[in-house]
Amino acid sequence: SLEVPFPSSREAVIALRSLSPDREPRKGGISKQLTVSGSTLSWSADEARILRVSVNSFLDHLSLVLETMEMFGSPVSQ
Amino acid sequence: MPVVIGFEGSANKIGIGIIRDGEVLSNPRRTYITPPGQGFMPSDTARHHRAVILTVLKEALEQAGLKPADIDCVAYTKGPGMGAPLVTVALVARTVAQLWGKPLLGVNHCIGHIEMGRLITKANNPTVLYVSGGNTQVIAYSEQRYRIFGETIDIAVGNCLDRFARVIKISNDPSPGYNIEQMAKKGSHFVELPYTVKGMDVSFSGILSYIEETVFSMLVEITERAMAHCGSQEVLIVGGVGCNLRLQEMMGVMCKERGAKLFATDERFCIDNGAMIAQAGWEMFRSGQVTELEDSWITQRYRTDEVEVTWRD
Repeated sequence: SLEVPFPSSREAVIALRSLSPDREPRKGGISKQLTVSGSTLSWSADEARILRVSVNSFLDHLSLVLETMEMFGSPVSQ
Repeated sequence: MPVVIGFEGSANKIGIGIIRDGEVLSNPRRTYITPPGQGFMPSDTARHHRAVILTVLKEALEQAGLKPADIDCVAYTKGPGMGAPLVTVALVARTVAQLWGKPLLGVNHCIGHIEMGRLITKANNPTVLYVSGGNTQVIAYSEQRYRIFGETIDIAVGNCLDRFARVIKISNDPSPGYNIEQMAKKGSHFVELPYTVKGMDVSFSGILSYIEETVFSMLVEITERAMAHCGSQEVLIVGGVGCNLRLQEMMGVMCKERGAKLFATDERFCIDNGAMIAQAGWEMFRSGQVTELEDSWITQRYRTDEVEVTWRD
């Protein structure tokens, strides 16, 4: 699995909710999980092979979300 | 006075526009231009969009003179379009919506074109010809839906022209369709005989005007038939191919014969742009629609008539 630390849990949750909606449902059930624990986002799967195929696009997406956060401000407090 | 920001990136343009009550406050755009003979592939297009989207977003806010706090709703293209570019744009829209604490709204790209065309031209209830690189549809509004009266059964008209441009290596800058139009203007002489070989040289401009005349005549015919069905006296042309002046001219002749009115917009608004998503989003938002984050997935297929039009009588 891949673990990404964030400055706060709020940012980790924003990243989770931005990245989650488009994850493709694969035949034979869910093969990858994206979860947040504290301020850490983790991306995991039962088999490394499954992560390997999609690691490029996952990292592209993650870095775009991080850049967006950096440029467009600290999250507003709820 | 809702202010809506719209994100569009379903094909090779990335645009972000801001609309306040029918007023376009900003609408910057970038186009991914490929070398002659090459079309745009999803992953390369997504890479282009990723590289420029935050700069375009900055421009959109600066040109509008607004801060994120002034925005009421974040609209983005849900589909139809190419998957990878759609995801890129949706990711940024979702992230800023959360950072700024604003509601999100997924917009059908085709509805964006229609609502932008209606806003700019003030056409009231037109028969709509939507022609672009990915879509060819004749649409009329009836009972909370934009109904598709006719459409292409294979490739879109713009795709047909683009592919031809690719085969004979016409430049993609600013767009293949524009360059075909310019070349076709010079080629009217060859309409009767598109197969033109002169010694060792060949002439393609004649074929281009032949292609243009043929495909545009087909579009005028189906539009006229839809008008007759609906008793409509207005035509609105939207989509990237809609800024082709020859198409507008041919449609104008048909409209004149029927005593109907033709509405069209220029390349700022008929080519994909962010303001059109903001405008459709503005109408949807005012009628009470929002998209929850978990429902904000993008979709490559999304028909115009799947959307319930909650903002028209």
